[in-house]
Amino acid sequence: MTLIARRSLVAGGAASIAALAFGSASRAQTGGTITVYNGQHRQTTEALVNEFTKSTGIKVTLRQGESSQLANQIIEEGARSPADVFYSEQSPPLVALDEKGLLLPADDATAAQIPAAYASPNKTWIGATMRVRVLVYNKAMIKPGELPPSILDVVTPAWKDRVGYVIRDGFQEQIMAVVKVKGRDGALAWLKSLKQNGRLYNGNGAAMNAVESGEVATALVNNYYWYGLAKERGEQNMKSAIHFFQKGDAGALVNLSPIGILKTTKQPELAQKFLAFAISEAGQKAMLATYAEYPVRPGVSPAFNLKPIDEIGIPITAHEVGGAALAYELQREAGIL
Amino acid sequence: MTAIARIGGRGSFPPALLAVAAIPGLLVALPIAYAVMRSAEAGLSGIIAELTRPVTLELLISTLTLAISVTVLTVILGVAGAWVTERCDIPYAGAWRIVASAPLAMPALVSSYAWSSLGPQFQGMAGAIMILTLACAPLVYLPVAAALRGLDPGFEDVARSLGRGPWSTFLNVVVPQAAPAVMGGALLVSSHMLAEFGALSFLRVQTFTTAIFQQYEMQFDNATAALLSSVLMALCIPLALGEMRIRHGRRFSRSGKGTARSPQIIKLGVYRIPVLLGFAAFGLLAIGIPFGMLMYWLASGTSAGMGLERLAPAIVGSLSYSLSGGLLTTILAIPLVLASMRLRGAVVTIAERLPYAIHGLPGLVIALSLVFFAIRYAPPLYQSPALVLIAYVMLYLPLAQSAIRASAELVPPELEDVARTLGKKPLTAFMEVTLPNLLPGIGASLAMVVLQLMRELTATLLLAPSGVVTLATEFWSYTNDRAFAAAAPFAAALVIVSGVPVYVFTLRTLKRG
Repeated sequence: MTLIARRSLVAGGAASIAALAFGSASRAQTGGTITVYNGQHRQTTEALVNEFTKSTGIKVTLRQGESSQLANQIIEEGARSPADVFYSEQSPPLVALDEKGLLLPADDATAAQIPAAYASPNKTWIGATMRVRVLVYNKAMIKPGELPPSILDVVTPAWKDRVGYVIRDGFQEQIMAVVKVKGRDGALAWLKSLKQNGRLYNGNGAAMNAVESGEVATALVNNYYWYGLAKERGEQNMKSAIHFFQKGDAGALVNLSPIGILKTTKQPELAQKFLAFAISEAGQKAMLATYAEYPVRPGVSPAFNLKPIDEIGIPITAHEVGGAALAYELQREAGIL
Repeated sequence: MTAIARIGGRGSFPPALLAVAAIPGLLVALPIAYAVMRSAEAGLSGIIAELTRPVTLELLISTLTLAISVTVLTVILGVAGAWVTERCDIPYAGAWRIVASAPLAMPALVSSYAWSSLGPQFQGMAGAIMILTLACAPLVYLPVAAALRGLDPGFEDVARSLGRGPWSTFLNVVVPQAAPAVMGGALLVSSHMLAEFGALSFLRVQTFTTAIFQQYEMQFDNATAALLSSVLMALCIPLALGEMRIRHGRRFSRSGKGTARSPQIIKLGVYRIPVLLGFAAFGLLAIGIPFGMLMYWLASGTSAGMGLERLAPAIVGSLSYSLSGGLLTTILAIPLVLASMRLRGAVVTIAERLPYAIHGLPGLVIALSLVFFAIRYAPPLYQSPALVLIAYVMLYLPLAQSAIRASAELVPPELEDVARTLGKKPLTAFMEVTLPNLLPGIGASLAMVVLQLMRELTATLLLAPSGVVTLATEFWSYTNDRAFAAAAPFAAALVIVSGVPVYVFTLRTLKRG
């Protein structure tokens, strides 16, 4: 019995090596295919790709991963990178690639269709969708009157152990927004108080769940985490709600998910078509179907019932929040990293 | 009769196999070279500044707390469990053996996700220790149970006939013979703990490995991450050498099958009820609760059924990659193990120990080092299945080595010498005499490596051809998006598919022999 099992394991292993070798040989790229490294939510990009292929006939090979891991991978790949396009969930990875001179500017005609603040100054990347930093709170633990107008308030001793935070996915940009309002020293003091009084979670989803279950009263997360949980559990069952910081406050930050073309691409025309499609009306609508994000293209309405974008935000460009080397330095100085 | 003898390396070795043995040694040198090279970019003062930061000390403390606690607890649980199922009169011993081995089929990634969703009390260090202890206990239980079964009770009879009491016999006769199995299991558990990332990502525990992932996420010049990786390797080296010391010079090879006598069975008496309750609680905590949570998500979430069309490709992806990886890893491990047992010299020792030193490295570092080297020096390999398999070999070689060594130690090298004096060529003698005797170890190695590869995440994500999906990568991507119900079928399939190698492995290990 075990001998047979062992033999079948060996045979299975040999067969599967053969299958892998054969499979890779038949995977040769045909004309009209681009490779997109995707760190954005998978469903968002898959919906975009489906519409893109339907409308242009160009096929897309998606490589899914965490945005920063993909950026590190592209840096290690250097001149031989197989990627044509990189779609990142956060702006720092694309800003880093830009600083290393790895990106090709988007066509002027494409960049002109969205507000200039939603793209890098040299158009090497453009925004594709946007999300908002919010404070989610447990309705049984926080009264509406207690909700703070500023993100600077939630780190005071009065909030000891009542605010959850996550140091990834939007947090570096958040720090840069505080730097913009309070300066470097102010931001450092804010981070130190946050470390002292806040509760660190390993992911936005974990922090969101913690608020919903009443484990912590509030948490700093991206807006769509609440909508995602509400979709899963039913909105009427939600024990938590979203609080927006006052317009102009560092906490009312709007973050971009940017997209850019690699300089090493061998098919820049196809890659340019993909970027143009991403910010077209059809592309924007496809991407907004699953997650509660905002469009970058004026005139497209979000699929979820979201607070209007002109009632939130602070005057800071995506390029400024994306240069997160300072945020990294501050986090290390505050002992968070 | 078994012979216990203290010997050095000895015996002949076919040159063809020596060449094969060199391959894994060269492979594992790659991430080491990569980590050292990238660390050096920080400069000496940068390195000193980094290592003396208070955060580095915090990481060291929490990493060691986790690794030591889980190792000690799994050894206690595993040895106690093995003692009870193999040497005590517990009713339904066969069923409890399955309970004690079954957590192997439940990936720590899944059980950690399930437990963390139950409340904050499971998300801290204590929770992490509990979750990972439950998940890893079989890694000690199985080899120890197998060792207890394989012992020749003749030694114990001799000890007792010489007037030793039961405790003295246990300590002086049983423990020394079972120690390599215990140490081998403990080494695996502790190096797993150093490299664990998936399970900890749902908890609030920071280790060197989670910090390395964070560094790669936060910045794009990775001297710091490389430096932390070097520290992690430094932590693995004493583990790898310590295990070797325990094994060194012990030889348990036998020329006959030994006696078929059964060992003396101890009556549990009044302890029977608490022992039974303990096994039941273990099964409930390690399997029942995580699997129950999976079923709950499946039934309650609105994302149920999303992406289900990818279930079949994911199963195919998991099976083809893990089976190929298991086979390749095992093939490369055999000559390495035999060379280290039969040849003397520092080079052989280092080649055999290096894989253990990098076993504690996170998959991310291994994968990035392969990206770096492949794209520069072997571009056709890049994003081909072959590179994934190479990463798998580097990650899990020690599992294969340990399993094969356990069998190889029972084969007297003199057998091959006899074949050669009868006129066989070295390679033929090896193929016809030694290899058949290694089959049990090869089976165990295949099962263990395949099992671990099915849940491998980071190297697969970074290195597989674009578009390849496995059960682990799909589960991961849905839990990242908080779509619990959509993730549940992939987790359930992972548990069920993992059941096959666990079954093969358990049967093989516990076959009375």
